[in-house]
Amino acid sequence: MSHLHIPDGVLPPIVWIVGLVLALFGVALSAIATRGVGPQRIAFQSALGGLMLAVMAIPVPITAFDYCMTLAGPIGVLLGAASAFQVSFVVTVILALMGQGGFTVIGLNALVLGLGAMTARPLYRWMAARMRRPLAMALATAVSQLVSSALWLAVLAVSVRLSPVAAADEEVHHTIRWLQGGALVALLAPLLLVAVGVESLLGYGLAQFLDRVRPDLLPSTNAQGVHAKPEASKGSHD
Amino acid sequence: MINTFAQVDQYASAGHTPWHRASAISKLLFAFATILLAVFTTSAPALAGYLVVALALALSARLPLRLVLLAATTPLFFAALWLVSRWTGRPDEIAMTALRPVIASLIALWLVGTTPYPDLFAPLSRVMPRVVGDSLFLTYRAVFALLQRLERLWRALFLRGALGGTLRARGQRMGEAVGTVVLYGFERSQRLYQVMHLRGHSGRICGCRHWRETRAEDMWVIVAFAAVLASRIVLGR
Repeated sequence: MSHLHIPDGVLPPIVWIVGLVLALFGVALSAIATRGVGPQRIAFQSALGGLMLAVMAIPVPITAFDYCMTLAGPIGVLLGAASAFQVSFVVTVILALMGQGGFTVIGLNALVLGLGAMTARPLYRWMAARMRRPLAMALATAVSQLVSSALWLAVLAVSVRLSPVAAADEEVHHTIRWLQGGALVALLAPLLLVAVGVESLLGYGLAQFLDRVRPDLLPSTNAQGVHAKPEASKGSHD
Repeated sequence: MINTFAQVDQYASAGHTPWHRASAISKLLFAFATILLAVFTTSAPALAGYLVVALALALSARLPLRLVLLAATTPLFFAALWLVSRWTGRPDEIAMTALRPVIASLIALWLVGTTPYPDLFAPLSRVMPRVVGDSLFLTYRAVFALLQRLERLWRALFLRGALGGTLRARGQRMGEAVGTVVLYGFERSQRLYQVMHLRGHSGRICGCRHWRETRAEDMWVIVAFAAVLASRIVLGR
């Protein structure tokens, strides 16, 4: 659901203005945290941003319908919190320019995607010390996806609460109450579960592959570092 | 979305309409101002006027009808979800909730469909931190190479039957496939760094400089904004 980008002109201005200010503050903070990074690191970060956009464009035939991934969790693990937030912001800006999500809600969309991605690496580190790295990646991805989805729903709930609802026809009102209470939950809950499941499985497969082929690309699990960090991972800030 | 990306990029670079010749900065300012105006306008007739302007812009830029329709319909799903979540039954509110995102999406399509990405990103990167500004350029460059690779990979997986089997097996196989693209992205970033180094990268990607040069065609952008303002004044009462 974190991929369901909010368009312009739907949410109340106070919600997207606060979102924009918070996101710009986040970008400024992450820029301070990644001040010393070189072009090689920026190029790697951009390649993963490009991958995020690319996988969002490819529908995965997992269930009866196609699902579009975000890879926010795995990218959060590979890059660390600060860079993952920057990547989310850049991806959201490019998507807004493509008409996927609005300009005014760039902040909210970046926060929804970015905060989920930011939680991934600390969780991964904690879990990778206790279990196999692919499993840790899958769980970190699941939590990251849940955080993004929860934020998305919170934005929607706050926006609904801030918008005055005029009294409608009683029958229509009753139907809408039923829709809000039952049908929406019935529709969104399975979608959320599918999204979390698919992203986690992809995270698992990705980590399994990297663990076998280039384990140094995965972050180390302790202070000493289980694996030596590659050039592009240097300066990663979490 | 794969074709959309490539198509929009091609139209932006290869188009020959007056909109393509207008300066990036005038188009960016027009787009931001119109979208903000649409977001804060509370009159459905005025929004209908903006929609006419946005449609005229998209069609006069000779963008394919399929792209225009896609841009007009994509934001409607969320708008519908929003309407259901706070139904009031008022036709004017339904119209406004549906019109605003459509106008914004069409204006965005017109902007990116008539402005090559270095011109578009150059002014944006000026107001962003270095890492984010540079990422904007490099991410956009990377996306086409990665999309092609991912598409080929998906086709190969499909032809070899890797997209069958249990959900778990399919997910894992796709994850491993994405892993190969991550690795490719890492190696590509190494090469790109070496290229940037050889070309004397000064520590910041600046984009091209002509995004701020005003042209005679900017007059058409001013005319378009005048039409938007006229809609606001005449129909917004």
